[in-house]
Amino acid sequence: MSRTAGKAAAWVYRGLWGVLVELLKVPDQPPNTPPGSGDVRSLKPSPGFLRYLKFWFWLWLVVFDLAIIGAWVALLIWIPWLGLALAPLAWGVAIIPDIIAYVAIHVRWDTTWYVITDRAVRIRRGVWIIRESTITFENIQNVEVRQGPLQRYFKIADVHIQTAGGGTSPDATANTQAHHGLLQGIADAHELRELIMSRAALSKTAGLGDEATPAGLSSAHRRVLEEIRDLLVPAA
Amino acid sequence: MMHRQADTPRDPRSIDRPDPVLIRYYLITSLLTGPVFPFVFLPLYIRYKTLRYRFDDEGVWMAWGLFFRRQINLSYRRIQDIHVTQSLIQRWLGIATVSIQTAAGSAAPEMSIEGILDPESLRDFLYARMRGARSEDGHTEPTSDPILQLLIEIRDGIAVLNERVRALEEAGR
Repeated sequence: MSRTAGKAAAWVYRGLWGVLVELLKVPDQPPNTPPGSGDVRSLKPSPGFLRYLKFWFWLWLVVFDLAIIGAWVALLIWIPWLGLALAPLAWGVAIIPDIIAYVAIHVRWDTTWYVITDRAVRIRRGVWIIRESTITFENIQNVEVRQGPLQRYFKIADVHIQTAGGGTSPDATANTQAHHGLLQGIADAHELRELIMSRAALSKTAGLGDEATPAGLSSAHRRVLEEIRDLLVPAA
Repeated sequence: MMHRQADTPRDPRSIDRPDPVLIRYYLITSLLTGPVFPFVFLPLYIRYKTLRYRFDDEGVWMAWGLFFRRQINLSYRRIQDIHVTQSLIQRWLGIATVSIQTAAGSAAPEMSIEGILDPESLRDFLYARMRGARSEDGHTEPTSDPILQLLIEIRDGIAVLNERVRALEEAGR
């Protein structure tokens, strides 16, 4: 029975996605990367993040709906006719936001994309307002992994990426803020941190606009100099 | 409800004004504010009429304003983050806002390029020129750098010399 229900829910959800794509112009593909981006990894938040969001959903559902239904039952006992008259309103207020929130959690999870190329991290999320931000490794100043107790239970963590400039507090939870990228609900956050840090370490600069290496030469100069050396060695 | 699709990727260097759809977007957003509509719409209308962009070899230039004029210059090499934002109305109209951030200490983006029909090509254009966009792949040697140009000439000269020495050795043998 529950399998049929699950299938029906999946069918309804696919229909909803059709509406999102057609009417709201929500892209259902991960953000693209420029050609020649090398090793491209397309990530989504871990399924644990979905469970984490649903945990909060159920917690708030129980609190709010108990309050609303409790108040309604009290009213029904106190003034029965008014309670009966307000029944559709009370149950509607109790149930409809829950359905919307539950669907919104899934849509949020499905519209969040993280793409990591050899040069940059690209984060896209949002349904009403789609925000996409691209941060190159060259500019990353630090990477921070945050995990609360509940997130530890669901085996997920948030990875914060900061670039120079500041302007916002790192506590801000919005995904695409100034000089700040947030990858939420990552299953293997430490591996991701190592990946980002290793790629950021490939860049010799401090990420503050200093383009050249200490000698004043870029890697292109060095490459040509090495070619000159290689040309001279067999001739000698 | 119309959706404009940019069929062919436009060269961002040809962009000098926001797309005319932007004024429709401004109209819709200011109509949504209700009774204060004229006060919201007028500054936006002036902004739309005076907004100019220029994408040259070094950077972006942007200017707007009638009474109070503002110009922003920004070089590609200083770009830190690129943001592409599209609200629902913007998606229906088929435009986007491309925001550019440098390392300056403000929370707001340094430059918001509004009314862009094909944000992906502009984003990729900026992405190819922002910090960390060195061509490491040896096939495309940029010749804008005079020192690099000199080194390449020396390398090619040595290669020619090597060929001559080899030819002489062959002849002398």
